[in-house]
Amino acid sequence: MAELKLSHIYKRYSGNVVAVTDFNLDIADKEFIVLVGPSGCGKSTTLRMIAGLEEISDGDLIIGSKRVNDVPPKDRDIAMVFQNYALYPHMTVFQNMAFGLKLRHFPKAEIEKRVHEAAKILDIEHLLQRKPKALSGGQRQRVALGRAIVREPQAFLMDEPLSNLDAKLRVQMRTEISKLHKRLQTTFIYVTHDQTEAMTMGDRIVVMKDGFIQQVATPQEIYNHPKNLFVAGFIGSPAMNFIQGTIKEEGGVLSFTANGISLTIPEGRHEILRQKGAINKPVILGIRPENIHDEPVYAQTYPGGVFEANVDVVEHMGSEMYLFMDVSGQQLTARIVARSDVKVGDRPKLTVDMSKLHIFDKETEESIF
Amino acid sequence: MRRSKINIPAMIFLIIGAIFILFPLYMAIMVSLKNPQELGQSILGWPSKIFWSNFPNAMAATHYWQAFTNSFIITACAVILTILTNSMVAYAIARNMHKRFFRYIYFYFFAAMFVPFPIIMLPLVRQMSHIGLANQWGLIILYVVYGISFNVFVYVGYLRSIPMELEEAALVDGASRWRIFWQIIFPLLAPINATIGIITAIWAWNDFLLPLVMLGDPGQFTLPLQQYALQGQYSTNYSEAFASYLMALLPMLLIYVIAQKWIINGVTKGAIK
Repeated sequence: MAELKLSHIYKRYSGNVVAVTDFNLDIADKEFIVLVGPSGCGKSTTLRMIAGLEEISDGDLIIGSKRVNDVPPKDRDIAMVFQNYALYPHMTVFQNMAFGLKLRHFPKAEIEKRVHEAAKILDIEHLLQRKPKALSGGQRQRVALGRAIVREPQAFLMDEPLSNLDAKLRVQMRTEISKLHKRLQTTFIYVTHDQTEAMTMGDRIVVMKDGFIQQVATPQEIYNHPKNLFVAGFIGSPAMNFIQGTIKEEGGVLSFTANGISLTIPEGRHEILRQKGAINKPVILGIRPENIHDEPVYAQTYPGGVFEANVDVVEHMGSEMYLFMDVSGQQLTARIVARSDVKVGDRPKLTVDMSKLHIFDKETEESIF
Repeated sequence: MRRSKINIPAMIFLIIGAIFILFPLYMAIMVSLKNPQELGQSILGWPSKIFWSNFPNAMAATHYWQAFTNSFIITACAVILTILTNSMVAYAIARNMHKRFFRYIYFYFFAAMFVPFPIIMLPLVRQMSHIGLANQWGLIILYVVYGISFNVFVYVGYLRSIPMELEEAALVDGASRWRIFWQIIFPLLAPINATIGIITAIWAWNDFLLPLVMLGDPGQFTLPLQQYALQGQYSTNYSEAFASYLMALLPMLLIYVIAQKWIINGVTKGAIK
């Protein structure tokens, strides 16, 4: 059980390639932290630096109270689960799980006990004498987890452990890993490019892009208050709609105006827009698809948020439906209730939930609110 | 039930290939079972009476058991040392190909494959005798060293297909580099070890030229060298010669059959998806 502190961590490769820049993060004991971002954002590199598989170019990595920059992986007391499982193919499941304990000269009885306990937790007791090639993808993933569990490490590092599984199994293993975290009460650091995994599993999420941390916050905070345009667009599915336009003031009323759309900004937001000098400046409006409604009750609540759009595509998802629309050349997506009778080619009246509006500075791409 | 399709052109090709291999073998067996008179009448025909005594005669003429022991020691040592050392060299190269030094070493070995042996034969023999190794131990060293260029080429190709994650997992598990090689990588090299082992064994067992120039003491002669004794200045006893060739061939056939089961694809299957 340990706290981790990453302080001004850099990773530079030869040829002036910087994979991670000034990474600062304090991870609390027993916390489940998720590093998320697109490919090449430096999340796996950061994890590998924590594991000791990559050298840290600059900065300090502290596990517990010890600086471990120069400590080899085996002495960091961490366990890692790899994307492709990395099970030793010539060893049985039992030998795979026992390997780390044997190397640490644990007594045979203790090894037996730990392996069987871990196998029981993961429901793989009946597979202990099999070789990895005789296991399914899900079973291999469990063995990989088991190999980490038996070590009882200070922290678990997981590098996209579910990305090789099919969609159904992924959802199942997601909940199992969350349960495992609660059961083991250990620090988990989890890397994924899947924002759903990040949102559902993490106590806190670290969103990364191009080697920089974009935002560190709880899933709710990240979803409701993204710090910038990238975070807003990356987290959430379908992604947040962005409309380029300008904030204009007329007789004390502020409105967002873009080609073919004009929305009245609620009074409560006026102050911050003025403070940030966003009036008469190009901005980007962000609205999540589920905050666009076609029910008249919303039009009554937010009369300033009503607009019309041409529906290009309708996708029925069962419990809800997605509308893909065109508003004067800008593409918008709405997630509305399934009972709606909107069809392709319609031009319905839709309402933006103005309390859920986001405005971003076009120049800096930072959130204004 | 779907009937399995036969690829007729491939089948014809395989049958022709099999005939090319089996025909000389058939001829060798027929020749070794006839007496010289009958051999004069027909080479390919079935013997009217099997002449088993060619075998004991050949054994006596070639000091078979002594030569067999010499060949066996040289071959076994060459195979074991080749597999142990060349795989280690290849591992170091394969995992450090991004470093200039190891890349140059790799190409240096690779280039050595194109140097014909007769060109370096005499300087090599002189060097070996100069350091007192013109004997069977020197011969073993030469097999290990001279095979390294081809073997490293084969090993490196295979090693690069073994996922790095396996080693990283072992590193995190607490293994040293040495242990990773012997407990994780070396067992995964089984198919290549078998291939290299067979190639080296056949080479060392059948080689005539290197033992001829390296070994002075008749007590150290290998089977091919002793078989040379069956070729007289004026006549050659073909029946006895072929009997001895067959006796020399058997151990190699046996090794191939045993090692064949190791030459299987997909040993790493299950390590990664």
